Amino acid sequence: MDIKSFFKRNKKQAKRQENIPAVLSKKLPHNLSNLRRLLEDPEDLVVREFTIYGTSRQCAIAYMDGLTNEKLVQDNVIKNIQLLANKGSLPDETNALMEMIHREMMSVTGIEKVSTWDDVSNSLLYGHAIFYLDGFSTALAIDAQLWEIRSIEEPDSETVIRGPRDSFIEDLHTNLARLRRYIRDPNLRYKTYQIGRRSKKNLVVAYVDGIVHPDLFKEINRRLESIDMDDAPESGFVEQWIEDSFLSLFPQVINTERPDKASAALMEGKVVLILDGTPFVLIAPATLGNALQSPEDYYERWTIGSLIRVLRYIAAFIAVFLPALYVALVSFHQGMIPSKLAFSIAATREGVPFPAFIEALLMVSTMEMLREAGARLPTTIGQTIGIVGGIVIGEAAVQAGIVSPIMVVVVALNAIASFSIPSYSFSIALRILVYIMMFAAALFGIYGIILCYIMINIHVVNLTSIGVAYSSPFAPMFFQDFNDLILRVPIPLINRRPKYMQTEDEKSADQGGA
Amino acid sequence: MKKFTHSDKTITQREIMIAIPSVMIGVGVLSMPKDLAADTKAGDGWLPIVGIGVLILFVIWFITRFVARFPGQQFIEYAALIVSKPVAVIMTLVWAGIFIPLTSIQIREIANMSKEYLLPETPIEIIALTFFLVVIYAVSGTRVGLFRLNMLFFPIITLIVLVVFVFNLNFFSISHLQPLFKTSFTGFIKGAGSSIRSYIGFGILWFYLAYVEEPKQTPKLAVIGTIISIVIYVLLFVFCIAVYGNSSTANLLYPTIELAKSVEIPGEFFERFESVFFVIWIMAIFNTTSLTFDVSVFALTSVFTNTSKLKVIFVLAPVVYFIAMLPQELPEISVFEMVMSYTVISYTILVMFVLTVMAKIREVKGNG
Repeated sequence: MDIKSFFKRNKKQAKRQENIPAVLSKKLPHNLSNLRRLLEDPEDLVVREFTIYGTSRQCAIAYMDGLTNEKLVQDNVIKNIQLLANKGSLPDETNALMEMIHREMMSVTGIEKVSTWDDVSNSLLYGHAIFYLDGFSTALAIDAQLWEIRSIEEPDSETVIRGPRDSFIEDLHTNLARLRRYIRDPNLRYKTYQIGRRSKKNLVVAYVDGIVHPDLFKEINRRLESIDMDDAPESGFVEQWIEDSFLSLFPQVINTERPDKASAALMEGKVVLILDGTPFVLIAPATLGNALQSPEDYYERWTIGSLIRVLRYIAAFIAVFLPALYVALVSFHQGMIPSKLAFSIAATREGVPFPAFIEALLMVSTMEMLREAGARLPTTIGQTIGIVGGIVIGEAAVQAGIVSPIMVVVVALNAIASFSIPSYSFSIALRILVYIMMFAAALFGIYGIILCYIMINIHVVNLTSIGVAYSSPFAPMFFQDFNDLILRVPIPLINRRPKYMQTEDEKSADQGGA
Repeated sequence: MKKFTHSDKTITQREIMIAIPSVMIGVGVLSMPKDLAADTKAGDGWLPIVGIGVLILFVIWFITRFVARFPGQQFIEYAALIVSKPVAVIMTLVWAGIFIPLTSIQIREIANMSKEYLLPETPIEIIALTFFLVVIYAVSGTRVGLFRLNMLFFPIITLIVLVVFVFNLNFFSISHLQPLFKTSFTGFIKGAGSSIRSYIGFGILWFYLAYVEEPKQTPKLAVIGTIISIVIYVLLFVFCIAVYGNSSTANLLYPTIELAKSVEIPGEFFERFESVFFVIWIMAIFNTTSLTFDVSVFALTSVFTNTSKLKVIFVLAPVVYFIAMLPQELPEISVFEMVMSYTVISYTILVMFVLTVMAKIREVKGNG
């Protein structure tokens, strides 16, 4: 942003509030009219004026309807001031009176003194109730936030068969409490940032002091402080602001809805970012291996966990290479296909008018569209898409002679493989790579594929996530971290935190089974 | 508390260990058994491989020990300390001058072979260009990245070699290797000459050791790296002879690839294993080429310190490509390759002698 527009923006903001003074005045009516003017007297602003019992002292309470616990304000603030005040004699002097109200009459847990209009509007819009006393230029912000929140349900995006049915929700406070319930370590730290010039959302950086490397934490803080935007409706905005390379296809920050995954990441010396208003928390830094891990790998016994891990690595390769291999083999290296299979492929491709590349492009794109349509539509219509897709891809296209049956098999396998990647954002990356691979295969056969693969590797080794090499622990190689990478060794043997995270406290257990 | 370091510029010793076989194993290995079989009788060729290998091993050990005395210093810096600045500059420029054609040869040979085994109808210029563009992409990235690539690819390369060995066990006949030691002395000398060409490229050590974390530990791991290449070479040669016999091996153009040809995957999943083998081997050749090209870039940037790395790459790239396309016929290429190999190996050893002798005379101890 250049200097000129910076000043312009300031001028605009100043214009909106030109008649509002910076600090509160002593006169109550003055304050109330200023408050109304500040917000232009909206529908959801509630202002209640009343007098303290037995005196003619005017006071008022203002809050936003729907953000504040009305019952709490009524029972523990207004009632107290109106009724309890008759128990003893009230001081006449304003300061003493305010102090007494503050100390003795309000039975609420959190009260803060505010004296500027900025603070008043901030607290008010956060759901605090503001208490004004006539003759006093400081107001009290009463912590009485309460709004409708969704109940905790099973996470939709990451389901497990065995594991907690627990999920983050849109409310920040609930999420922080979730995480505390997983980690009762007093060293679990929450550091709060405000994101969004206008939306002023809270973003909490969670980390475990004593595990996380201080430099890593500093780097994340540096990046968060640089964030400058109007609003962050989802943690994706934060992710895209702090990631290392926006040109890369690969996600450099993990997102998750699962508190168990977040707490496990904290234990590995990673940092968790929780944004108010979204159930998706961010885990940074991420590596390539993380994209192919699921919490369930640890919940089931190690043999199953390892087997599934290996399967996922194979799936990742199938998800990227299969259509390209088909194109390469059919159009360049027919000799590499076993002769019987070659004959059957040739026979089925007899009536197909397109070259293999066009055929593959057509089918892969159709598959992508189907996937997208299925994701966006409401569930009831989504089923229709499934049926239509099944017919279009499976039967009709083949019978109409547009594609060969073997192509259908290839696309189906490819789709299944990419669905079996646990991280959605990573599987999107692979879906884009499929196209690049297919182009390479169409031009140069498997020579093109291998060059493409080398290029992906070049990219990955040069990529970092918050300064951590994306390709670790493969390269730079940390041999010890291989116990939880492609295979997942028995839990008692995982007694060290990942080496590539360079944690302060390396041991996660003093003695393993080894 | 240690600094958060793993993405910075240092190369680990393990990466150096892998870099040595990575830079050695390349195009040369594919035809190495042929020349050796022609020079020696029966299976005697393993002797020169091991003999030369052990010699090279000592040279590498010596170089790493020597460079470890100047931790964190680049070639031009410690060479300037020892033999004065102008001589150091000339030495560095000669390095660039040697590694540029070496890169070209790799590119040309891979293009030739790809045309032969994979893409018979694509023009050789295009095949070479695409490969070279990938190399340029790699070299434009971080230098540490190249070593990490070696680390990623080397296990795959070793695996495919092992697969070739295991599936050739059926055809392995000891009788092809006998009788032992019937080769004449001159035959062994000739064989040594041929096998030395498979060990070139370790000259990169002069440059990259500057980036190594703990230079004191490197000699040991560098030696292990060399042993890895020796073992792979010996096994490859022995298998070629044992499967095809001496005289057939000597007449095959690329015996190593032919070895892969005889592999039949059970279940007939796919045929023509040699294509798969060659495709994987492209990674090995890529490793070699990216390192040799990077050394030429490295040498030039350390002389012309004001020029950015990318500029050097873009100026060098057309030169390398032009040299690669220069030779027309196969014999020309192999003569070119032979000359270059001997030049590289002699220059590497020459530099070693000059630097050590001068360091002794001028009493430059270094600070490591």
